[in-house]
Order: sequence, then structure tokens, then C-alpha cells
Amino acid sequence: MSIQLVGMSHKTAPVEVRERLALSEEGASRLARQLTRSGAIDEAVVLSTCNRVEFVASGRPNMLRGEVFRCIGDLLRGTRIEEAAFYSYDERGAVRHVFRVASSLDSMVVGEPQILGQVRDAYRRAKDAGTLGGPLDRLLADALRVARRVRNETEIGRMAVSVSYVAVELARKIFGDLEGLSVLLIGAGEMAESAARHLRGAGTSHLYVSNRTFANAVALADSFGAEPVRFERLLELLQRVDIVVSSTGSPGFILSKRTAQGVIASRRNKPIFLVDIAVPRDIDPDINAVDNMFVYDIDDLQQVAAANIKHRQHEADIAERIVDDEVRRILQRLKARRAAPEIVLLNRRLEAIRRAELERYGSKLRDLSADQRQAVEALTRGIINKIAHHPIREAKRSASDPRSRITFEDFRRIFGLD
Amino acid sequence: MDSHDTLLLQAALVLYSLGLLDSLYSVVKQRRKLFKPALYAFVLGASLHLLSLAFSSVSAGRLPVQTFQQLSSMASFFMTAVFLAVYARFKYESLAVFAIPPVFLLALVGALGGTSPDASRPMLQWWISIHATLFLLGYAALFLTCVAGVMYLIQERELKSKRPRAFYYRLPPLGKLDEIGYIALAAAFVLVTLGLIAASVWAFAKWGASWLVDPTIALAFLTWGIAFAMVIGRLAAGWRGRRGAYFSIAGFACAALTWVVNSGAHTFMGQ
Repeated sequence: MSIQLVGMSHKTAPVEVRERLALSEEGASRLARQLTRSGAIDEAVVLSTCNRVEFVASGRPNMLRGEVFRCIGDLLRGTRIEEAAFYSYDERGAVRHVFRVASSLDSMVVGEPQILGQVRDAYRRAKDAGTLGGPLDRLLADALRVARRVRNETEIGRMAVSVSYVAVELARKIFGDLEGLSVLLIGAGEMAESAARHLRGAGTSHLYVSNRTFANAVALADSFGAEPVRFERLLELLQRVDIVVSSTGSPGFILSKRTAQGVIASRRNKPIFLVDIAVPRDIDPDINAVDNMFVYDIDDLQQVAAANIKHRQHEADIAERIVDDEVRRILQRLKARRAAPEIVLLNRRLEAIRRAELERYGSKLRDLSADQRQAVEALTRGIINKIAHHPIREAKRSASDPRSRITFEDFRRIFGLD
Repeated sequence: MDSHDTLLLQAALVLYSLGLLDSLYSVVKQRRKLFKPALYAFVLGASLHLLSLAFSSVSAGRLPVQTFQQLSSMASFFMTAVFLAVYARFKYESLAVFAIPPVFLLALVGALGGTSPDASRPMLQWWISIHATLFLLGYAALFLTCVAGVMYLIQERELKSKRPRAFYYRLPPLGKLDEIGYIALAAAFVLVTLGLIAASVWAFAKWGASWLVDPTIALAFLTWGIAFAMVIGRLAAGWRGRRGAYFSIAGFACAALTWVVNSGAHTFMGQ
């Protein structure tokens, strides 16, 4: 039995290649079942996200790669994917890769939070499909645990790196929690909408959308479940909202410093966060000097994102150490498990001897009371357990120790297990 | 008996310093889990500190607010207690890094001077002891307002500079610091008001209508005035953010100065 992994990710294949193997949830389950049907593979799980496809299995050594190519051959319908796009790992390498993927260390944006959920879903689906239930099952449960540990013990997940995430993170640094805050989105644009969506996801309670063309505001507001606002009411709204995301096509500032000073006075100094994604800019950057007003333009956001990546690299190093530590522990357990068949045989054999001997003296023990009979049972069982204790420990130890000179054959021969 | 309280206070000092070192390490390294031992050290230190105060109360038969050293010791105990209360609610480890060093210094002053009161000195009356205790608690709360103010200014500078550096990642959000400062200020105001009432009752009983000229009372009024101005500035004028933080720091500095002068006045009056 060995743990094996075959996969393709953003590191080995561009999106044009990856998209050809994009699997639906149903497709992933079907592939996993197909793999286990061959006989060479005992357990299989298939993880398919937009950045990767991973096949993880336990079974006869060095069988997975061939099986995977056989199975996806049908899927690709004649087209081919370069073999070089796929990496394969086994044993230590496979365990480590699974842990790193789950912990978001192998992600395109290191530390992004979605991958953990995707691994969890893949695990659940494989369980539903009945393609787990042995060492791989435990390994995946461990991977989820390791990922949670990495998340708890490092800051890796807390540092936003995409520009729209950075806006959310900055808002958190300004306000604390975002619950109950309101957001105003001025104009439109992919990045602004993404920022608004992230802010909404982070718990802000109300979203207003404004646009010079009111109809556009209404259309966008509909898609968000937000409230459309006429452009003329902007100033009135600025006195109420907490976060503004601005992205209009205006050639000049739509918010001057003078106006802003009036706004903050009428807000009685309640802080406001102004995110200016527009180029040319919508909001006078000098407003940032006003107490309780925070202005970030697109360059500022990118600057914070860059600082976060630098900060996160340090965290990623710590996370890697956690993963290495866990891999070592899990491998030891996996190897110790290899002695399992011998241990079962030994226990079975000793138990058979015990029963046979009890039976042999059956007639002489017939007159014993129930208590005495129980004592004899306990006594004989105690003897065989004590005899088995050391050999079992040695078998487990030598299974996980590459320098051990005792082989399983020796073990079987000594105890007459064949 | 006297040695008990000194020993306990010294043990508390050791625990405070160990806790401070650990909290520094955990905040710098951003390992929240490593803060646990520091928290235990602070809780245990504060418990021993309280025990030390209890011992000196029992042995002297009066609240340990008689000498400058005793006042320092009690003030530092209250500061730890207020810090722990705020930590329990907000869970920001970085607060310890800013709040505990002054706690340590005050406890050190308390321990260096010895905690046994001068037996030849007449003890302060019951009412004035209560006044002193309430004021000390009020000062501890004001101190936390000041700590939150300092942290606010640092974090605000990080955010305004748009170049996140070490502090940005380690200090709490501005909104939360503002909230902590405000809660602590409100608590301080209530405590100082109660303390002032206690002092007034005492002075009125002693001197009748001419009590306002007493220096202790005048200084107590001054402290109360500072706290009142801080509350008004916040509520009526909407002073928050950077200006609010400056005001908290200045307010605490005035109050602390009053305290030093005031405890001098207590000593003077005792003689």
C-alpha cells in the first residue's frame, strides 16, 4: 500500500490546458470511482478547482499515474495534454503536497481562504461516493486539521493581497468590525464592484449605488441587491455612509478637500474611508490629511498589497515548518501501519493457541464457578497480551525505521505466521 | 507581618516583568498563542498584588493609601486590573505592551519604598481613604484611555502613511482603540465623581462651609474638572480621532500631575 498523487496546477499548466480538464463535482466523483474500480487503487479522491486538478490515491505502488492517464483519456476525447503538465508524488512527497495544498501554501495567492473549503468538499464527495475508508481517509482528515493549524498559528490567511481584499482589510483596520456599516459605490467597473462585493461579504449592512446615469445605478443596484441613489444626492449620502468606493469616468475630482471638510464636520468626526479606484482619480488625495478621513487610491492599495505579500512570505515560512513537522508525524504513523497485517496475524495466532489450550483442559475446568472461569479467561488473555506487547512494538518500530534489519518475513517466520 | 506584603509585592513584580517579556515576544512575533503564559502571569501577579495590599491593610488596620509608596502600589494594581478587564472584553495583546511597563514601574516604586506605614503618622480618616481609593481606580481608567490614545496615534499614522509597517500589523483597529478609550474615560469619570463626593463629605464634616480652600479638595476638583472636560469634549464637541487621542493623553498627564501633587498634599496634611 502506498499514498500516491498525480496532479496539474497553475504552476505546471496555463489556464488553456487546465480548462480542458475542468471537472464538475459529479465528474470528479465519477473519476474517483473509476480509479478504484481497476483493482490497483484502493482509495481515491479527486480535487478539481480552477487552479488545479489533483488525484490522490492509496493502493499498489506506482500505479496511479498510469491509471489516471487511462481514465482521463476518455475524458479528453482525442485531444492530448502534455505529460509534462502533470507532476507525480508518492509517500512523503504526496503527503507533503496534500498538506501544502490544503494549507494554501501552493495557491496562486498564498494564503487565500477558498482552497480549504474546496479540499473539504472534495473529501466529503469522495466519502459519499464510497472511494475512501482507509489510510487516505485519515490522511485527508489530517490535511484539513493541518490547514486549520496553519491558519490558527500563522497570520497567513489574514493578509489580504488582492486589491479588493486590501480595501476590506483596510476598512477593518479603520473601523474594527464592519457589521452595521454602510457602503456607497459611485460609478461602476470590475474592480470597484469586486471591492463592493467583498465589503458586503465582510458584513457591511447597507450598500448604496450611485451613477451619473441613474438607470445604470438602478441596473447595478439590482444585481447587488443594493439601493440606487441619484447623483445629486451624493453629498447628503456622504454624511451618512462609512465607506465610499469611487470609480467614475470623471476627468476631475468629484470630491474636493473643501467639500470633504464640510462633510466631516457635519458627520461630527465620524470616520470615513474613501477608496478611489478611478483613473484619473475621483477624490482629492489631500483629503487624507483631514482628521478621521482616510483616502486610498489604486496605487496606495497596490502598495499595501505588496507590503502584505512581503509580510506573508515570512508567515509562509513558518507555515512550511508546521507542514514539515506534521508530514514527519503522519509518515511515521503510516509506516507503522504497514506492520498491521503481521500484527493482526500474530494476535489471531496467539488467540487460537489460547482457545485450543482452554478447550484441551475443558473437562478439568468444568467444575469451576462463574467467577473462577472469568479469572482463568482474564489470566490467559493477560499472558498472551504481555507476550505480544514487545513483538508488536518492535514490528511497528522497524516498519517506520528504514535502518531496521528485521523484515516482516523474519517476523512471520519467528512466530510461525504463514 | 510586614514582610509578607513586601514579599508578595516582589513576587507580583517578577510575574509582571515575565508577563511583559512574553507579551513583547508574542506581539513582535505575532504569535497569539504565545500570549497565554503572559496572561497567566498578569492574572497571578495581580492576585498576589491584591494579597499584598490585603496584608498591609490588615497589619496596619487601615487601607494602604497612606504613603506615596502605598498609593503607587495600589495604583499599579488597579491599572493591571483595568487592563485585564479590557483584555477580557477586546482580546488585543498589544495593549499589554503599552499598558504594563508603567504598571511595572509603579509597582517597583511601591516595592522599593517598603509598604509598612510610618507608625508615628496619624491615619487618614475613613472617608478620605475611600476617596483616595476611588480616585486611584479613576486614574487607572484614565491611564487606559491614555494608552488607547497613544496606540491610536501610532496606528493612525500607519494608516495615513499608506505604507504598512510593523505597527500596522500588530496594533488593533482605530475604531476599537477609540471605543476602548471612550469606555475607559466614561468609567474614569464616574469613579472620580464618586471619589469627589467622598472627599466633599469628609471635608464638609471637618471644616463646614470653608472646605473649598483645602488644597486636597481643590486638587480633587481639578482632576474631576479634567475628566469632565474630556467627557464634554467627546460628547458635545465630537472630539474623536487624532484630536481625541491628543486630548486623552494631555488629560491623563494633567491628572497624573495632580496626583503627584495631591499625594504630596496628603502627606503634608497628615503631619
